[in-house]
Amino acid sequence: MNRNVDELFVYPKQWMDEESRSVAALVRQWADREIISKRMEYRENYAALFPEKRKKLCLDIGLQRLTLPVEHGGFGWSGIANTPGILTILCEIGRADAAVAAIAAVKYAILATISLDHNRDRKLCETLAPLYAGDDLRTPALILPGAGMSGQESPLFRGRALLAGVHSVKGGYAVSGTNLRPLFGGHLADLFCVVCEGGKEGPCIAFVPGDAAGVERGPQILTTGLNACVNADVTFHDVLIPKENVIKGDAAVEELYVWLNLLLGGVSTGAGTNFFEILSDWSETRVIKGRTMLKENPLCASVLADVAEEIALAKLLLYDLAELITRPEEWSNGNHKRVFTYASMIGSRVQQSVTRAINRGLELMGSAGYAKEWHAEKHWRDVKTIGSILCGVAAEAPVKMDTARFFYNCTEI
Amino acid sequence: MKHFDEFSRPEEYISPFDRHFRHVIRTYLEKEVVPYRRKYDEDWKGHLLIEPAFDKLMGELGLQKSLFPQEHGGWGLANSDYVFRVAYMLCEELGRADTGMAVALAVTFWPLLVIMVEPHVNDRLIKEFAPMFCNTKKAVFAANAMTEPQGGSDIENMGLLGGRTIRTSARLDGDEWVINGHKLWPTNSGGVSRLFGVPCTTKAGSNDTNDFAFIYVPADLPGVTQGGAYEKAGMAADKNGDIWFEDVRVPSWYRAHGPGKDADAFYQLIPFGQVASCAFLTGAMLNLYERLYEFVSTRTYNNRPLKENDAIAAIIGRIAGDIDICRILGHEAAMIGDRRNKPYGRPLTSEDVVGRVRNIKDFVSDRAVDCFGKGMDILGHYGADRDWDIEKHWRDIKMVQLWMGGKQLCQMEAARYFFNCETL
Ligand SMILES: Cc1cc2nc3c(=O)[nH]c(=O)nc-3n(C[C@H](O)[C@H](O)[C@H](O)COP(=O)(O)OP(=O)(O)OC[C@H]3O[C@@H](n4cnc5c(N)ncnc54)[C@H](O)[C@@H]3O)c2cc1C
Repeated sequence: MNRNVDELFVYPKQWMDEESRSVAALVRQWADREIISKRMEYRENYAALFPEKRKKLCLDIGLQRLTLPVEHGGFGWSGIANTPGILTILCEIGRADAAVAAIAAVKYAILATISLDHNRDRKLCETLAPLYAGDDLRTPALILPGAGMSGQESPLFRGRALLAGVHSVKGGYAVSGTNLRPLFGGHLADLFCVVCEGGKEGPCIAFVPGDAAGVERGPQILTTGLNACVNADVTFHDVLIPKENVIKGDAAVEELYVWLNLLLGGVSTGAGTNFFEILSDWSETRVIKGRTMLKENPLCASVLADVAEEIALAKLLLYDLAELITRPEEWSNGNHKRVFTYASMIGSRVQQSVTRAINRGLELMGSAGYAKEWHAEKHWRDVKTIGSILCGVAAEAPVKMDTARFFYNCTEI
Repeated sequence: MKHFDEFSRPEEYISPFDRHFRHVIRTYLEKEVVPYRRKYDEDWKGHLLIEPAFDKLMGELGLQKSLFPQEHGGWGLANSDYVFRVAYMLCEELGRADTGMAVALAVTFWPLLVIMVEPHVNDRLIKEFAPMFCNTKKAVFAANAMTEPQGGSDIENMGLLGGRTIRTSARLDGDEWVINGHKLWPTNSGGVSRLFGVPCTTKAGSNDTNDFAFIYVPADLPGVTQGGAYEKAGMAADKNGDIWFEDVRVPSWYRAHGPGKDADAFYQLIPFGQVASCAFLTGAMLNLYERLYEFVSTRTYNNRPLKENDAIAAIIGRIAGDIDICRILGHEAAMIGDRRNKPYGRPLTSEDVVGRVRNIKDFVSDRAVDCFGKGMDILGHYGADRDWDIEKHWRDIKMVQLWMGGKQLCQMEAARYFFNCETL
């Protein structure tokens, strides 16, 4: 494609400072040079190249430490003013490879709960920062509430079951939970960030080192997409963690969801953008009815328009969310629940939009869209995986309930 | 509802073959395919698991000979009054287990139908090919090699283009056809098939259907080269690849019927393919229901089973409703096929029948794509998990929407038929 995607899928660049723009440009270079232009080689040797490409991005370019505060050895993108910048980076990585991006999104979302200027947890930063500012590639995994099991009364976070729990023991906390399903990366994870039941104070977030005694991983799970973020169920047998590894309260969990909705939205939108590029090439080279270029057929053009529209609008919504996070007072009098609700609505809408865009776009690609060689199908699988995992359980129903609670003060749903 | 079998289908449409045959096939698939299907994706290249399953189904159970007349060792189904409905039943059962397997089997019948269904029967060719399929216990596959590198939709768009875009050529040289061309993507290519049905042109660029030829080419002839299987998003049990024909010579009587008649006989493959596609989809949807039923009964939101929450019930209720409607429509499409020239409609090869059946397939595939997408979302963290099977069907069935000219061709044929469009 010989057109610049930035000029097609616009977003308010003035929300990004000079530094953010140059980091984004660096990531774009990585995406184009390391992955997009070497798709064949990358696809055929994916398992081996995946860690190598991640290393380049996370360690050589340094994205692993990007959001850590400077005093903890990071690059200092730890203020909410950096939100649009972080979103842009996720879109850029997602454009190249949603699996690399999904790990990064989870990492930034987790770090956002402890390292931002307004919520910095110094002790936890002191524990985790050396790992993330170090020279080894780090892979955290996130365990969120989701479906409960019939016949068991579970503690809840907004209707979703909390299947893990912490209780206080001498010297810290013990974390327990059986066959918990991380979003992705459970098999590789060196740190688990687990939303747990925390007793009287409601839900909490526990940080469990992957190598702690009592952490047991199940077999690798085969999934639709994001195959490089190999997943596995995890069981915690009363795993001991220090006191400072637990953050308590609804607000922290809500914040985690807010970031996850934003950043995974960025990953999917990035993947959608690259899908757009692939489809665009196809529409300019494929001829139908023996003579008409695909994009010049009115029916195909209307499907192409649908694809572009879904991606363009998803991107705008995400930047609005980034702005809402950056300036909560201007948008929402700093109301926590409002940010949470908007993040859920936008997160869900963005995933549905990008999934729909790719689903429709594939209609125009015939068999090529279905062949691994064209790479379109990978985006389709990856984005669908992110979308269904992010919704947690029961499709859009839980997000609808969150929304109804906020807008209509429902109390019994 | 007690069982997925209770999804609606018009009872009076059910063929005499149905009850016993369905039971045999289902029992076999539940034993030999369902327990292994989660491993099929990784077996896409070698077919080490898939091939033995086909041997039993097609060779030992004998499905591959079912179309052939009894005097040639077959079951005589091609000339029964219920070939579409039996095919529907078979493809639905296969689709419930694995749609890739379903298409590999159904496509074996596809080129053979061109010479077996009244009014287009070619006894000499039937006799010629019967031993290949009827005298063995090993699976034998055939392929219908339509799609070419420059596009598959146009070749199926016979109503508008009359074969004008076909580049694979057939030249008569004495009493032999000499075939040259490049086909790609046919089901059962990638080295699997022993026989190809090849749509060709006898005059490049012509849209006169007299210049369309359907010629049979055994895969082991000199000049036939097959590439390896492509790696795809799903449908691992079906191999697809390139086939090159370079000065391949076949006897002149390997042409199905002759000028004009070939196009007509070929055109009936469209409704057959579309009916089978509907069956693959409704079969997979029955399995979606089974797997979803388990999840929504055993998992909770707000500490109540998912299915007991009104908002979630609305989503799964819609899914089940769609399955029900699609199954009725699929059987209706099969019946349109079986009624052929009788009171219901027009000849199988008329724009009327082709348009209506394409229309049903388009509707059913859209609903299936939507239902499977929703199904994965209901499973949430487990939606992309191979162990729940829904994601595999989601990957597999997308292709059913895309093949045979894709969605847009279905829409255009419907518009052409219902609105008498003249330029589309
Ligand atoms: C698993 C699998 C099994 C297959 N089995 C077979 C088989 O058995 N035999 C075989 O020959 N092929 C087979 N195919 C190929 C398949 O049928 C073709 O890919 C399909 O027909 C579309 O052709 P194409 O990919 O060349 O796309 P194109 O023909 O290039 O079409 C691309 C897109 O253009 C648009 N388009 C085309 N025509 C029109 C129109 N008139 N108006 C508006 N839009 C239009 C549609 O959106 C279409 O999707 C199979 C493919 C797969 C993946």
